[in-house]
Amino acid sequence: MAEEIKTEQIVEELEKMQYDPWLPFESKLVWGCLGLGIILLIILIWISYTFFPSSHG
Amino acid sequence: MAETGKKGVLNEDWLAFWLAIILFLVSLLAYKGIDVFGWIVKTNEWIKLEKAIEPVSKAYKGVSGEITKIEGNKLTIKTKDGKEQTVTVDDPTKYQVGQTYEKKGLSGFASLVLTYIFLTVILAIGAYLLGLNVGRFVVGFFFVFWLSYLCWLIGHYAYFAATDPKKYNISWSLKLTGEGGFIFALALGLIIGNFFRPFAQFLSEACRPEFYVKTAIGLMGGILGLKSAEAFGLASTILFTGLCAMIVAYLIYWASIYYMARRYFKFSKEWAAPLAAGISICGVSAAIAMGGAIKARPVVPIMVASLVVIFAVVELIILPFLAQIFLWKEPMVAGAWMGLTVKTDGAAFAAGAITDALIRAKTEAVTGIKYEEGWILMAATTVKLFIDIFISIWAFLMAYIWCTYIECKPGEKTSAQEIWKRLPKFVLAYFIGFVVTLLISAPHAPKVKATEEQIKLMEKDIKKIEAQLATTQDPNLQAQLKGKIEEIKAQIKAKKEEIKDSKKIVEQTQTAAAGTNALRLIFFLITFFTIGVISDFRKLWAEGIGKLAVVYLVGLFGFIIWIGLLISWIFFHGVKPPVVGQ
Repeated sequence: MAEEIKTEQIVEELEKMQYDPWLPFESKLVWGCLGLGIILLIILIWISYTFFPSSHG
Repeated sequence: MAETGKKGVLNEDWLAFWLAIILFLVSLLAYKGIDVFGWIVKTNEWIKLEKAIEPVSKAYKGVSGEITKIEGNKLTIKTKDGKEQTVTVDDPTKYQVGQTYEKKGLSGFASLVLTYIFLTVILAIGAYLLGLNVGRFVVGFFFVFWLSYLCWLIGHYAYFAATDPKKYNISWSLKLTGEGGFIFALALGLIIGNFFRPFAQFLSEACRPEFYVKTAIGLMGGILGLKSAEAFGLASTILFTGLCAMIVAYLIYWASIYYMARRYFKFSKEWAAPLAAGISICGVSAAIAMGGAIKARPVVPIMVASLVVIFAVVELIILPFLAQIFLWKEPMVAGAWMGLTVKTDGAAFAAGAITDALIRAKTEAVTGIKYEEGWILMAATTVKLFIDIFISIWAFLMAYIWCTYIECKPGEKTSAQEIWKRLPKFVLAYFIGFVVTLLISAPHAPKVKATEEQIKLMEKDIKKIEAQLATTQDPNLQAQLKGKIEEIKAQIKAKKEEIKDSKKIVEQTQTAAAGTNALRLIFFLITFFTIGVISDFRKLWAEGIGKLAVVYLVGLFGFIIWIGLLISWIFFHGVKPPVVGQ
């Protein structure tokens, strides 16, 4: 269970963390997610306002 | 998800599913005329303690008073406090108008003790199935139940709860509604968890907020199915917003926090991916699922989860009050905002419940409008549940992406089976309850509601005509008005006849839902108390974890709050919950 972890252990693990370089694919992943998210949101908002106009106040 | 059943047959997730689904299915005996859970305790706002508790169903309550009307096998009784109550009797010929009627029922205290015993028995079985120490659980649960209930009872005291103090002949009230008891339970839990650590440790076996809240949500499906049948348009908007919430949480929140944690705070991939999942999707389950997907060491997501849980409690304490101050005119925006912003299931559902209570109380106090209970909570819950459902698919996709494009660790493979394994099962209980109740009540509830509204208008017309009749002396006009009254009365009778069968089904659904809803409230209540007990705030100011805290705070205040608010606003601005009595 999450609450069984002691604070000291977290601090120790964080201190042990090593440098991990940013990979080009991570850029693709992050910007791909954001771009897809924004496009899908626009589509859903358009569907909502176009086909269910009565549900918007 | 908290996988706590170390030696048990079930984990908490499955246990919550089975418990909720069994209680729901048993409650369906209402359609056979059996009110199985009518004896569960219900708490009312009170100024005199003896009026505070009673069984949830009228069938189990005692009634005494004068018979004022006999219609078929229904007697109308005028009780000592002047209220009218209808009771159904087998043989109405035994009674006469003017006679005194008395039926002994279950006392409030007996109902409370029975509720405690019932919960202790079913949860002790649950504790056994989880592989817990049943003896320690039962002892711990004794304190968890009674301390939580004490808070609930205090929360219903009219000086704290009443939205209309005049009703109780008092000059002021905090107007928190009875659900203010949740806040008291959380506060008491936090005091115990942070200042009485040995006692908190003593209670630990019974402090399982994730399990309690998952059971509560499983039980909520039934009552929300009935509400949705009555107001389908609003319910469908809420479901639609759930889809958007998934996109926001997984694609926008996650990507932004991952980027921030990696680029600006220099976290490794092993830390950044579960951290982003914990902060943006769901504290415990998403962090663990994501950790598993990228094959992080098990300790990393658990550490992340342990901190996110604490931060989520801070959100739970602050955000509902902000919503009450700034969003009380936009109740549904506030509900969806809680679901999109507060992380961890327990804290999000709890924040939805507090927001529901606070906003309804403020609206009633300021405008006199009384919103139906539960719609704001429904917005929060649905949004959060949609986010939860997608965790398994997201974890599957991330496992594939990580292995294919980032780094594939030995023994790592992705399979469709993983999706099922990671799917939160308690959600299934919610959906089964929701769909079954919706299917049963959808053909009837809207018809009954619409017809009853028409009948109310007709009854108002009758009153107007009667007032006119009292002032006129013209015999012709009197005859004409009397004829009109008779005509409307006949129409009302015909309408009542028309919806008789549908009304019976709706009433049976209400009976089934009332019992499980009363149990749901108790599960919610003990969730609040136990969240408090397990929240050790010392972690927040411990040295060395500042970096984690800063990522959370920047993520939360930098964009999670604002994007959540924007999306909730786009979908819900101007949308109000149904008003009581309309």
